Amino acid sequence: MHPSRLMKSWQLMSAIALSFLVLLSGCSSGNSQRENQHSTSGGKVKAQGSDQPGTAAKGGQLSFALATSPDTLDPQRTGLAVAVRVLRTLYDTLVIQGTDNDIQPSLATGWEVSSDRKTYTFKLRQDVTFHDGTPFKAEAVKFTFDRILDPATKASNSAQLIKPYASSEIVDDYTVKIHLTTPSNAFLSNLSQAQLAIVSPAAAAKDGEQFGKNPIGSGPFKFVEWQENAQIVVERNPDYKWGPGNVENKGAPYLERLTFKIVPEEATRLGGVQSKQVDAAETVPPQNILQLKSDPNFQVFSINTGGLPYTLFINQENPPWNELKARKALQLAIDVDAIVKTLYLGTYDRAWSPLAPTTLGYDNTLENGVKADVEKANALLDELGWKAGPDNIREKDGKKLTLRYVDGSPNREKRNDIAAMVQQQLKKIGVLTEVTITKDVRSIVHEQSNYDIHGNSQVNSDPEALRNFYHSEIKNMAGRHNYPALNSPEVDEWINQGTVETDKAKREEIYKKVQHYIIDNAVIIPIYVFPYTVAALNSVQDLKFDALGYPLFNDVYIQNKP
Amino acid sequence: MIRTLTARLVSSIMVVLGALVLVFVIVYLLPGDPVFTILDPATATPEMIAGMRAQLGVDRPLYEQFWDYAGGMLQGDFGKSLLNDEPVLPKIIAHFPATLALTVASSLTAAVIGIWLGVLSAIHRNRWLDVVVRIIGLFGISMPTFWSGILLILIFSVNLGWFPAMGSDGWQTLVLPALSLGLVGSGFIVRLVRNSMLEVINEPFIVTLRSKGISERLVMYRHALRNALIPALTMIGVLIGDLLAGTVVIETVFSRQGIGRIISDALMAKDLPVVQGVIFFSAIIYVLINLLVDMSYSIIDPRVRRLNARRQAS
Amino acid sequence: MSAKESVLAKAVWQETKPASPAVRNSRKRSVSDFLVYAAGAVLLFIVACALVPGWIAPYTPTEMLTDRIMQPPGGSHLFGTDYFGRDIFSVVVYGSRDSLLIGIASVAAGLLAGGAIGALAGYAGGIIDMVLMRLLEILMTIPGILLALAIAAALGPSLANIVIAVSLSAVPGYARVLRGQIMSIKGRPFIMAAHSIGTPGLSIFLRHVLPNSWAPLLVMGTIGLGTSILMGSGLSFLGLGVIKEVPDWGTLLSQGRGYLTVAWWMATFPGMAITLLVLSVNLIGDKLRDRLDPKHTRG
Repeated sequence: MHPSRLMKSWQLMSAIALSFLVLLSGCSSGNSQRENQHSTSGGKVKAQGSDQPGTAAKGGQLSFALATSPDTLDPQRTGLAVAVRVLRTLYDTLVIQGTDNDIQPSLATGWEVSSDRKTYTFKLRQDVTFHDGTPFKAEAVKFTFDRILDPATKASNSAQLIKPYASSEIVDDYTVKIHLTTPSNAFLSNLSQAQLAIVSPAAAAKDGEQFGKNPIGSGPFKFVEWQENAQIVVERNPDYKWGPGNVENKGAPYLERLTFKIVPEEATRLGGVQSKQVDAAETVPPQNILQLKSDPNFQVFSINTGGLPYTLFINQENPPWNELKARKALQLAIDVDAIVKTLYLGTYDRAWSPLAPTTLGYDNTLENGVKADVEKANALLDELGWKAGPDNIREKDGKKLTLRYVDGSPNREKRNDIAAMVQQQLKKIGVLTEVTITKDVRSIVHEQSNYDIHGNSQVNSDPEALRNFYHSEIKNMAGRHNYPALNSPEVDEWINQGTVETDKAKREEIYKKVQHYIIDNAVIIPIYVFPYTVAALNSVQDLKFDALGYPLFNDVYIQNKP
Repeated sequence: MIRTLTARLVSSIMVVLGALVLVFVIVYLLPGDPVFTILDPATATPEMIAGMRAQLGVDRPLYEQFWDYAGGMLQGDFGKSLLNDEPVLPKIIAHFPATLALTVASSLTAAVIGIWLGVLSAIHRNRWLDVVVRIIGLFGISMPTFWSGILLILIFSVNLGWFPAMGSDGWQTLVLPALSLGLVGSGFIVRLVRNSMLEVINEPFIVTLRSKGISERLVMYRHALRNALIPALTMIGVLIGDLLAGTVVIETVFSRQGIGRIISDALMAKDLPVVQGVIFFSAIIYVLINLLVDMSYSIIDPRVRRLNARRQAS
Repeated sequence: MSAKESVLAKAVWQETKPASPAVRNSRKRSVSDFLVYAAGAVLLFIVACALVPGWIAPYTPTEMLTDRIMQPPGGSHLFGTDYFGRDIFSVVVYGSRDSLLIGIASVAAGLLAGGAIGALAGYAGGIIDMVLMRLLEILMTIPGILLALAIAAALGPSLANIVIAVSLSAVPGYARVLRGQIMSIKGRPFIMAAHSIGTPGLSIFLRHVLPNSWAPLLVMGTIGLGTSILMGSGLSFLGLGVIKEVPDWGTLLSQGRGYLTVAWWMATFPGMAITLLVLSVNLIGDKLRDRLDPKHTRG
């Protein structure tokens, strides 16, 4: 009987231990973060490549956790920003964009623009070969761009970026003329985007639809394998010697191998870095940015992206939001400072303009131009005849003052939480906000245009991006209007001028007028500038980012600090 | 026996055909135009939309679409992904082993934890250890798996560094997801094992054994447990279907490869051929598992064999 | 009844011989009785939260105190505050409404639909039975969460649609159990007798068949309540949940999960609320089974 009793008490102990572990873990993990860092360094889970000896030769392997999976590695077909992070390692573009928005050579050594600004003649590098051995020639440029126009390619974002491309003309092996249907200032900077990267014509022709799974470019890394939903592996391209101007190392990258892990769950992705299972992870939530910044074992990168910041578009199609005073009331009642401070804990910058600060023509005089003022907002609505009804919601002619706020799911960058805060803030001026969080933004916003406020942002390299959102010729799928239902001949004219104006200073002035108009008329409420964030172990050296905030791995190596 | 088998096979095939129709209906009901899985709705022109519609074949009459779909599915052609033209069936087959491994590992975890706790509970029936064990079992059923999964990552990956938080290569990556999914299954098994053992304990032959002075432990493990094992193992067969479905959440939490990830991603992206492919595939798996469970059960347990025979006779 | 069903039924509903009185009337019985009382108290409290949240919650659940975000539990905030600066205890108290609603409504809808189908199949028998059972079998081939996912994606996010999604996946279970019960009762002498003296079918069904069949459904319902709430929270996790001004517990847990290492209380309290609710309901379901199983009480 005695041994069995012993047995029983052991079983009892383990049963209790199991239950307590599960129960108490929430508490223990919160309070002992610092201490944990030490225990993991001796743990069984080791980071790939972080054990490289810290000798003079730079090298190592890096694993980098992505937040979502690329859709394809065919640059012309992708519709996702996450794919670009991988595409940048595999492909080169004709030109690149520097941090001050100037265009620099990459695969093209130089270019000339015709006087009618409809023909670009590019001189090409002569020492470039694709990963499959195909030499890079003018034919590859023509092939790549023509490919976008071919409906069989099912081109996505690239089809938009290539506009107003008409045709290519091969002058000789290393000279190509590109003809446009109309002049466009955005064309060169669009060529710097990875969606217009040059593909190996031989490989793309051979693999056809499957090229996205067998990508062949001329970039610093070669494709090794793609295990779907798990990882994409690329390895050093030893022949690489044509690095662009935004990296120091023009030759083959130091990293032997670069593994992109696909880890959608935020807590798991961060847990991966904290447990050193991966070397770096992207899209770090604000609360973890603060936590990791204060930890000596980690570094956090945060790079503001260019283009359009996250913006709430007010749909002017529906009354009362067609009236300036009503929109002004929203502008004054929505306390953007409180939203940004509360949700992003000071890690995101507040946006003031329809353009992000790093974008050409950004108007910094708009900063601090709008201050939350509930009283003034209330007064404006009073003037319009909306009077407080029961339960403090304003009414006019028996109609409640409601605002339909449509946002997408999942809760990317806490955008759903912005909706929740706006809802509470607008209560103070008697506006009933109906928040719809949906997976189906497409049909509610684009097809039915059934919204008063909808938020969006766009990473872009040129202020031409304003056209898609504010020019009246752009219509949604219902064929009714652009995002804010703005129909301003002035804005249309300015945007058209901006597209063709050659003088940089004049062009900037034009875009400043657009920005001022949009804010003065409360067309939108800009919320935050999106920073691309990466948390990395301290052993990761020289991680850099391009003008749009995409990571550059050419200079990266692994070195453990003594 | 042969007649039972044929009858089961015929009804299974009918069920698979029914599932084929159901899957088409579900996918047809999903809102949004599949064209915009490929095109950007903000910039697509009506001509682009019409062209893409023709290319995808969604402009044809419904019955024609169904005919194509059903014919293709039955011949093993599940179509291609809208996003990247990848053939759907090979994609599913490539990812299925990871899901299968997780399902098997979590079934084993469920069996081990469930039987162990069930035996403990039966031996200490109605004493407080029994109560504690049953509550632990219920905890497994009562916790959302994504929560227990994240807690396990925080304890065993971030804090202790014992097991990796993510990935699907190597047995180490299986431990935490299998534990968090297995806890759910174990809750059901605890209950079943306890009930089955208690049933047996008062059978005359056990009473006889006890009176012969054989130790309680021997009685429990040799005789009572043996009788509880068959229903417990069958229960696991039944649970496999649920565990398979549970991978949808767990594969996302632990960033594992598998068909659960494929379907949740495809639903988000409205990649309809993939959605219908995975649902139909899992329906076939479900039917197969049931067929296996039923048959193995009737082989193992003579009582069921007799029952089946009687059913046929009447 | 197939072999599989008999095992399933055994896990839910003891089909076989009762345990002997010696076991059931153990002197330590009070321990498990105490647990059931505790579970009942928890359940009562949660129901009270749903009915009169204003009497229990110290704050308005939507009030965002942006100057006290992510405060740990204690002081004026029993469960701490979340990243909006809302009092978590108050949000959890008010959130009980939708959580209970998802659970109860899905069980009710599933029970009604499943019960009706099961009763029809079991009572009518023959070709109707066969067709209905085949249809259910087809529905069962698609795992509950996948069905719920597809339906939630198809119909869009709303409380009603989540209820439809969750209850639809539970229909076959209820239908089969009721059908099984009815089949086993149908052949008994007292039903035969009622038939022979010309009692109308509906009356037999209402007066004899149903009263003998509701017990297992009730037990299944208690278990289904837990499953529904868990499935609802799973949908929230996958981004198909309903985001309302006052979110349900599943959504709260899902929103707080990214903060576990920074502010553990944000996910832990809603999570514990779910676990406690499901646990209590299950404990009571266990007890109900012991009490209601006719084979048990005969023993």
